[in-house]
Amino acid sequence: MSVLECKDLCKSFGHAQALDHVSLAVEPGRIVGLLGPNGSGKTTLIKLANGLLTPSSGEITVCGMAPGRESHGLVSYLPERTSIPTWMTTTQLLDFYGDFYSDFRRDAAEEMLAHLNIQSRQRIKQMSKGTREKVQLIMVMSRAAKLYLLDEPIGGVDPATRDYILSTIIGNYDPEAAVVISTHLISDVEKVLDEVIFINQGRLVLQSSVDDIREEKGMSVDELFREVFKC
Amino acid sequence: MRWQFSNDAPIYTQLIRQIKVGIVSGGFPPGERLPSVRDLATEAGVNPNTMQRALMELERDGLVYSQRTAGRFVTEDKAMIETAKRGLAERHIKTFLEAMLNLGFQQEEIVSLLRQETGEEETNHVSSGM
Amino acid sequence: MLRKLLKHEFRATGRIMLPLYLILLVTSFGANLSARGLLNTQYRILDVLGVLLVMAFGIAICAVCVMSMVVMVQRFYKNLLQDEGYVMLTLPVSVHQHIWSKLIVSAVWFALTLGMVILASCIVAFDIDFIKYFFQGLGELFGELRHVEAYYAINGTAIALEFVVLCFLGCCAMCLMFYAALAVGHSFANHKMAWSVAWFFIFQFAINILGSAVIIFADATGLDYFLTNYIHFGFMAGIHAAMIFMIICVVVYGAVFYGVTTFFLKKRLNLE
Repeated sequence: MSVLECKDLCKSFGHAQALDHVSLAVEPGRIVGLLGPNGSGKTTLIKLANGLLTPSSGEITVCGMAPGRESHGLVSYLPERTSIPTWMTTTQLLDFYGDFYSDFRRDAAEEMLAHLNIQSRQRIKQMSKGTREKVQLIMVMSRAAKLYLLDEPIGGVDPATRDYILSTIIGNYDPEAAVVISTHLISDVEKVLDEVIFINQGRLVLQSSVDDIREEKGMSVDELFREVFKC
Repeated sequence: MRWQFSNDAPIYTQLIRQIKVGIVSGGFPPGERLPSVRDLATEAGVNPNTMQRALMELERDGLVYSQRTAGRFVTEDKAMIETAKRGLAERHIKTFLEAMLNLGFQQEEIVSLLRQETGEEETNHVSSGM
Repeated sequence: MLRKLLKHEFRATGRIMLPLYLILLVTSFGANLSARGLLNTQYRILDVLGVLLVMAFGIAICAVCVMSMVVMVQRFYKNLLQDEGYVMLTLPVSVHQHIWSKLIVSAVWFALTLGMVILASCIVAFDIDFIKYFFQGLGELFGELRHVEAYYAINGTAIALEFVVLCFLGCCAMCLMFYAALAVGHSFANHKMAWSVAWFFIFQFAINILGSAVIIFADATGLDYFLTNYIHFGFMAGIHAAMIFMIICVVVYGAVFYGVTTFFLKKRLNLE
């Protein structure tokens, strides 16, 4: 069964059509890149999958159910900006995730935090922006979820942090789960992807495996992307 | 081990070649247990499925074998490693020769140039630090 | 899950409210001290200190009351409609549970604030002749009232209880009105806060209009006449009936705002 499935999914904000009849499916065990230029509808799609928006028409399902309370327990979501409550200490944040998610692996999270030298009594507020982002990623990847939805996890970070983020994702996701990574920085994520989904102006342009693209077209996904989205 | 990838070929074929180089050069000695797929993938910064695919191919070639519970091991068959070494060397030489022919060198010129470069020594299959 | 939400909600708000209560109690001791001896001494410095302590107490009371309101509004706004909303609204928790947790926590802080203000006032008044007289006077007044009560056969306790319930429910309904205004305002693409304020006034206005409409309706149709003359309400029963009617009204408009809030959080959410 597909972990994430869209059928004729449309979403408009007033007159602006953010998603236009998108149909796609993401299978378990795959790392999928959701690729497209800024404003192509990547974030809208991810928000719809999280129930933070409701579709204008069409259908979106997560593990066979409409986004809602039940699906939230199966999805681990990294929003495009850091949104963990800043008044909490690291310990309180661990309590918080442990309380609400039965699949939260607290020891894994603690190990990763210790690796970054983050003290348990330190408040999120006192951390730098980069550290907060890493802490939220650690929380998200410490869950044994069925679907990870990562919205721009490597946007606006330095190359060393980028490597850290990507290796954290690869090293921690559940092999039975699907990972969706939205980004416009393709060359950086290409190596970790099984599959790519190109969207542009709310429309699905292409869904293909990375190996197929390289084998058939003899070019990297990054090169193909530049060709498809040439201005 | 350092992992590097180019844009023209699928990642898994590049992984196969680099693991082969690791085995041939002794980075992964014969009979040694390989790290887990996830660890190797994390180290190389690639998708674990891709790493899995590369290892399966190597397994099919016989350079690597897996034991159900203990994990994957490098083959102890020295002859097989030697063949793999030959194979890699031949590929290097082939591309080298193609490039030299493209530049307009004749076969004898290439050989003498190689002699000069390596100091008149008998050099057969050693690809000179390309 | 509601219990877990409440736990973290109390953690988040307690770190603001509890220190404020502590400050209130400390300043009330100060005010007590100054009322006992610092005012009207020969030393000006002590006089000034006394006045300052009493002022501090006054400010602390205001601060506690204002903050319990601010915390109520701000928790809903920051926790659900700002960045934190991304984390909170993707928890395996229903929107109903979110709203109830916010409402219950606000109600508890309102009640505690009332309790603390009364406690602090008692501390200030402790063992001071003037206030003792004041309370004596108050007691006499209540004594008089009790005669009146006997005279009219008023069930004072029941009315007091009804009044307390009405106040409490009124506070909750007001919370819900704030929530509804914020939820509706934040469904707009731009000027979310301005829209929220506008909607708050629209709701307020609507309630006033409806309230007046009910009175005018009762007046025009002779409903009040019917009630007083045919059902033979006594004076007391009339007050009870009015109280219960008002409680029902408050519950109804609270429920309406609850419905509006859930609808907008579920269907019209627009986090940015």
